[in-house]
Amino acid sequence: MDKVFDFRGVSFAYPGREPSLREATFDVSEGERLAILGANGSGKSTLLHLMDGLYFAQSGDVRAFGQRLTPDAVERPPFGPLFRKRAGFLFQNSDAQLFCPTVEEELAFGPLQMGWKEEEILRRVGDTLGLLGIGHLRDRPPHGLSSGEKKKVALASLLVLSPVVLLLDEPTAGLDPRSQGMLLELLDDLHGRGGLTLVTATHDLELLPHIADRVLILGEDHRIAADLPTERALGDTGLLLSVNLIHAHRHRHGGMVHSHPHQHTRTHDHAHGGGEDHGH
Amino acid sequence: MHIPDGYLGPQTYLAAYGLMAPAWVWASRKVKRTLRLKQVPLMALGAAFTFVIMMFNVPVPGGTTGHAVGAVLVAILLGPWAAVVAVSVALAVQALLFGDGGVTAFGANCLNMAVIMPFTGWWTYRLMAGKSPADSKRRWVAAAVGGYVGLNAAALSAAFMFGIQPALAHDAAGRALYCPFGLSIAVPAMAIEHLLLFGVVEAVVTGLVVAYLSKSEPSLLEGGVAPPPAPGGRPLWKKLALGVAALVLLTPLGLMIPAKLGAGDAWGEWGGDRLRELAGYLPAGFGKVAALWHSPMPDYAPRGAEEAALPVLSGWYILSGALGVLAVAGLVWIARRWLSHKETDGIAS
Amino acid sequence: MGSLPEWMAPADEGTALLVRKAPRVSRAVRRGLGGIVGIAAALLDDGLPAGRRGWLGRVDARAKVLGLLFILVITTLVTTLEPLALCVGAAWALALFGGINIRRVALAMLAVPAFTLALAVPASFNVVTEGAPLVVLCHLGGGHWGPWRVPELLAVTDRGLFVAARFALRSAACVSLASVLAASTRPQDLFKGLRGLGVPSAFVMVAAMMTRYLDLLLRSAEEIHLAKLSRSLGGVGVAREQVWAAAGMGELYRRSRTVAESVAEAMVSRGYTGEIHTLRQGRWSWRDGAFVAGCLAFGAGLLALG
Repeated sequence: MDKVFDFRGVSFAYPGREPSLREATFDVSEGERLAILGANGSGKSTLLHLMDGLYFAQSGDVRAFGQRLTPDAVERPPFGPLFRKRAGFLFQNSDAQLFCPTVEEELAFGPLQMGWKEEEILRRVGDTLGLLGIGHLRDRPPHGLSSGEKKKVALASLLVLSPVVLLLDEPTAGLDPRSQGMLLELLDDLHGRGGLTLVTATHDLELLPHIADRVLILGEDHRIAADLPTERALGDTGLLLSVNLIHAHRHRHGGMVHSHPHQHTRTHDHAHGGGEDHGH
Repeated sequence: MHIPDGYLGPQTYLAAYGLMAPAWVWASRKVKRTLRLKQVPLMALGAAFTFVIMMFNVPVPGGTTGHAVGAVLVAILLGPWAAVVAVSVALAVQALLFGDGGVTAFGANCLNMAVIMPFTGWWTYRLMAGKSPADSKRRWVAAAVGGYVGLNAAALSAAFMFGIQPALAHDAAGRALYCPFGLSIAVPAMAIEHLLLFGVVEAVVTGLVVAYLSKSEPSLLEGGVAPPPAPGGRPLWKKLALGVAALVLLTPLGLMIPAKLGAGDAWGEWGGDRLRELAGYLPAGFGKVAALWHSPMPDYAPRGAEEAALPVLSGWYILSGALGVLAVAGLVWIARRWLSHKETDGIAS
Repeated sequence: MGSLPEWMAPADEGTALLVRKAPRVSRAVRRGLGGIVGIAAALLDDGLPAGRRGWLGRVDARAKVLGLLFILVITTLVTTLEPLALCVGAAWALALFGGINIRRVALAMLAVPAFTLALAVPASFNVVTEGAPLVVLCHLGGGHWGPWRVPELLAVTDRGLFVAARFALRSAACVSLASVLAASTRPQDLFKGLRGLGVPSAFVMVAAMMTRYLDLLLRSAEEIHLAKLSRSLGGVGVAREQVWAAAGMGELYRRSRTVAESVAEAMVSRGYTGEIHTLRQGRWSWRDGAFVAGCLAFGAGLLALG
C-alpha cells in the first residue's frame, strides 16, 4: 500500500516556546484509520497541522504522498493544489472553518481555488449536500446553524474536493450525542465505501474503537509513547495512566465510595463485594 | 462623527471619494504585501472588532457615556494601512447593511475615520512611544494621547466639511442647500464635544486596551502586523519629516491655484473677512477677538507682505508653515522628554 | 484535591453582609452593549430565504443597489422641497408594501430624521439664517456681550424655516432609502451584488467575512460583558468601569486574532493561495430590469421637479 504520510524524526516548536512535538517518527498507509491520542497540550493538533502543510518541521522530514512538505512545495503547482485537494482538515472550531457568507459558497470555495469548471463545481456541491442530507441549508449563512449542522457543512466543504485523507481534530467535541453518532456513522461509511484514510486527533477514549484501528499515543513530553493497535492500547491501563489519559477516580455508589483507574470508554463493568454489578 | 447622507453636497462627497480612491488602492497593496495569505481574515476580524468597539459604552466622569471609534487602536494593533482597510470595511457594512452612517458620505467618513484618524493617532503614538518596551507605561500613555489626537483631528476634519457647506452650496436665494451651519458654528460645536467628551473616551479606550494587552499578551503589540522597519529603510521620524517638508513646500500651491483660477482663497485659509462672507453669520465681535489674540503672523504673513507679489507670499507661506511644524514638533519632543523622564524615575525608584 | 477551607460552605454569609448599600451598577455598565440585541436580530433575520422577504427581497441585489443608489444621489442634487418629500414617501411606500420587516427599519427611518430635525431647528433662527422674521421668540436688545455682538431679537425667519425644512427632509429621504436597501437585501446577496457591480472581490470578501464573524464577536462581547456584570456588586467608580470595559475589548481583540489565524489556516488548507475566485452571478430577470428602469424614471422625475 502507498504511504500517505511519512514522518522521520520530526520536531516542531512555536517561536519562543518549548517544543510541542519531539522526534516523531511514524507513517500512515492509504486506507488506514489512525488515531492520535494524547492529553491536552501533548502536540496532537501540532501533528495534524504538520500533516496538512500548515506548519513545517524544524528538524526531521515530513513527506506526504512521497513529496517532502515545505512552504514552497505546498504552494507551487502541480503538487501544491493537488496536495490541498487530497488532504482535508476538519478543524476543531467549525466557526473558523466556515468563513463564507453561505453554505453553497463555503462548499464552492475549495473547488474554485482548484480552478474547476463552474458547472462541475455546482454539480459536486449539490451531490455533496445531498450525501450529507443538508441540501436545505444551501442558501443559509453559517452563523445561525446548530453545531451539528456546522460540523456537517465543514465536513462537506472537504468532501466536495474528494480527498484521499481526512485529518480530524477532535471531531466530536461540542456535539450532542445524536450528532456525534451521525458523524461517526458517516466517517465509517466514507472509510468503508470510499477507502478514505482517516487520521483523528482526540483525547476521548470512548471514541477510539469507532474511528481507529491503530493508535499513536503522545506523551506529555511531546514524544510518541506508543504506536499500537486500538484494542491493545485500550487494554493497557498502565500506559494510559502514564500519559495522563486516565486517572484514579473516586465514585459514589449508593453509600459506598471507592477509587479505581477510570477510563472513559463507552461502558465498563466492575463488581465490588456485596454490591450489584453496574456499568458506567 | 459619522456624517449622514444629505449633510454634504456633491462637491464635497465626490472630492472625498476622489481622495479615498488612491488611498484604498495603496492601502490594499500595502496590506496584501505584508499580510499575504492572512490578509483577508485579519482585515475582516479587524473590521468586526472595530464595529464591536463602537458599541461598547464607556463611562466618563460626570455620569455620561460615550463610545470610541477605535481607529487609532486598530492602527496601533494592525498598522495604519491595515486600519485604512479595516475601518473602511466596517463603515461600509454599517452604511449598507444597517443603513447607519452614509452611502454618499461614505468617502468623507472614510477620509475622516479611516485615514486622518488612524494616521494622526498612529504617528503621535509612534513618536511618543519611541523604542520603549511593549510593557512600559510610556506605551499606553502614548496610545491614549494618540487616540485623543486622532479623534480630534477627525472631528475637526468633519466639522470643516460641515462648515464649508453653506459657502460651497446655496441656492439662487443664497440659502444653504446642505448642512446650514457655517464654520463659525460647526467647528466650535464639534471641537468642544470632542475635546471634552469623545476625545476623552477615545483616549481612555485606546490607552487602557493597549495597557491591558501589554500586560496579558504583549506579543500582540510587539509583533503586531505592522511590518518591522526594513533594514536600511528610513526611520520613522525621517519619513515623517520628509512628508511634512513636502507639505510645507506644497502650501504655496494652495495660494497659486486660486490666484490663477481667479477663485477665492484655498479652503481652510480664511481670515476673518472671508469667513464672515462665507459663513455670513459671524458675530461682529470675532474681529475684536482676532485682534486680541493677534497671532504673530495673521493670514500667515506679516502686515505689509499681503500686497507683495505671489513668489514673496509663497516664501512667507513656507516660512510660516515651517514655524508651525517646528512648534508642533517641539511640543511632541517636550512630551517625549517628559515621559521618558518619568519612566527612568520609575525604574530608579 | 486539598481540604476545603472552613469558609467554603453554603451557610457562610459573613463577607456578603459587609455590603450595606443596595447594589448600584452604573447605567453605563448595565446598558453596556445596548445595540447588540438589534444587530443580532438583524443578522438572524438573514437566515430567511430570499423568497420569503416580499417582492423587494426577490429583486436582485445588483438592481437594488443600482436603482436605490441612483435615487439617493438624485436626492442630494435636488433643491426644492417637493421632490424630497416625494422621495421620503416613496421610501416609506417601499418599506410598507415591499414585504420588508418594517420593525427593523422604522427606528432608523424615524430616529435619524428626528435627530436632524432637532439639529435643523437652530438653523431657522435669524442668528444662523438671516431673513424676514416670522415668529419673534424674544428680544435680546442688541449690543455686545464680550466679544460677541448680540442681535436685536431672536426670531424664526422665512429663509431659515425653508433651510431647516430642506435639510431635515433631505436627510430623511437619504436615510429612508438606505434603510430600505439594507432591510430588503440579505448580506450574502448584497455582497454578491456588489461583486457583480465591479467592487473588487478582495474588498467584498473582507466585508462578507466581517459580517460572518460579527455575530461571533458580538456573542463573545456579550459573554465578557455578562461575566463582568455578574461579579459587580456595589458602585465601582468610573475608573474601575473604564478598566473593565478596556479589558473586555482587549480580550475581544485577543479572541478575534485567534479566530483570524484559524480562518487563515482553514483557507490555506482548502487551496487558497492569495487569489480570490468566486462563483459567477445569476442572470438578470425581467423583475430586476423593471426595478432599475422604475428607479431611473423616478429619479429623472425628481430631477425635473427641481
